[in-house]
Amino acid sequence: MRNLDIVKLIDTTKCTACRGCQVACKQWNEQQATRTHNWGSYQNPPDLQSNTWTLIRFQEYVDSEGEFKWLFRKDGCMHCTDAACVRVCPSGALYHTEFGTVGVHRELCIGCKACVTACPFDTPRHDPKTDKCYKCDLCYTRLLSDQKPACVLSCPTGALSIGDRESMLKKAYTRVAELGGDANVYGDKFVGGTHVVYVLGEKPAVYDALPENPKMPTTILWWKNLFKPLTLIGMGGVAGAAALHYLTKGPQEVHDSQEGGE
Amino acid sequence: MSDQTQAMVRVTDSVERIAHWILAGSCLLCLISGLGFMFHAWEIIPTVLGGYYATKWIHIFSGVVFAMALAYAYWMWKKDCSFEQDDLGWILQGGGYLWETDNLPPVYKYNAGQKAFFWFVVVFGVTIVLSGLVMWYPETFPVSMARWAYMLHAMSAFVIGSFFIVHLYLGTIGNPGTVQAMTTGKCSRAWCAHHCPRWLADHEAKVTSAE
Repeated sequence: MRNLDIVKLIDTTKCTACRGCQVACKQWNEQQATRTHNWGSYQNPPDLQSNTWTLIRFQEYVDSEGEFKWLFRKDGCMHCTDAACVRVCPSGALYHTEFGTVGVHRELCIGCKACVTACPFDTPRHDPKTDKCYKCDLCYTRLLSDQKPACVLSCPTGALSIGDRESMLKKAYTRVAELGGDANVYGDKFVGGTHVVYVLGEKPAVYDALPENPKMPTTILWWKNLFKPLTLIGMGGVAGAAALHYLTKGPQEVHDSQEGGE
Repeated sequence: MSDQTQAMVRVTDSVERIAHWILAGSCLLCLISGLGFMFHAWEIIPTVLGGYYATKWIHIFSGVVFAMALAYAYWMWKKDCSFEQDDLGWILQGGGYLWETDNLPPVYKYNAGQKAFFWFVVVFGVTIVLSGLVMWYPETFPVSMARWAYMLHAMSAFVIGSFFIVHLYLGTIGNPGTVQAMTTGKCSRAWCAHHCPRWLADHEAKVTSAE
């Protein structure tokens, strides 16, 4: 799988919410569980956490024809090609790997939380205890050894699969055609294409915590594409102008014959 | 030596100078550490400051110092730096720095350029401090607001950083005899007559009446 543009496909219509992936993720990445309270849902923990990098979301939904559906969606990092988190990370902790995924150099993370705010999918989480941010790295070290990510390996129903972008997208669109109705492919058309792609049984707007039209926040574009270069141009330009002024006009000497001056 | 001393005029008091240097020092530290975060190519900055994590705390700590120094500086200089009618004329002639002028309006304590610098630092200083506070605890705020904070922080850094260099040049080699205002606090009488003639007249009248 080395040096491939890889995609992890999540076929939500095949997910039975066994949560094997959630446990496998914790086990492989050695992330402890946190004690939670029953809040009336199997969705546990209630949200992504600094030590929960993937989570099955449980959702009860009645469609337009009055049919009751129980929707399951595996949430986690979408591994954007144009990733807001990588753009804002000040220490280079977040980076694009050779697989196109977004990796984490944990030792470089300074816990500034810029990625937490920047992410259009609300994925990274900050742990105040370690003062670092955490998210799925799609089992980078496993990919390096030609192994599937822990979640994919654990999946008993075939809801999770991984491979090169082309074949995964083909698989996704074939599946969507097979499902018909509102089924759709989610992930290949925004933020430069994500490296995690969903087959959704319902329209994206139906799902909890799933943005309908995720995009790079405009404020980040202004910050990184305008003010960042302007800072260099401004400070450098002014320094250059000052030097030029000094050399052409010269310093403003004070002359006063009566006082003598210095 | 005594002639020289006679010709010197006290233009700032020690409190002013201490406040100035705390403001300038914290601002410079914020600027340098911030540039280390902004440009990954300048990894030398966080390396010298003790790594990225230490740099984060240096940035936050000096930001807090800057905020307090800024509040004090505002209170201390807002009167000296309030604009008056003549300031427009001064600005329109570029303060005499860019081309020959012969009718610059006589300045009181600070010229229009210095006043403008002060107000730029106040406005963008407040912006950079408030946005910095949001960035310190971004989860406490709505996400759209937190995202705006990052952008405003970068914008303010651009403005303050650029003006910082203008200030540095004009306060040192661009105007010989000026830097003493912030070191010993005494400038030559000739310097005062040139840079702040109206203030000098007032000052000397006061001194004379006191005697």
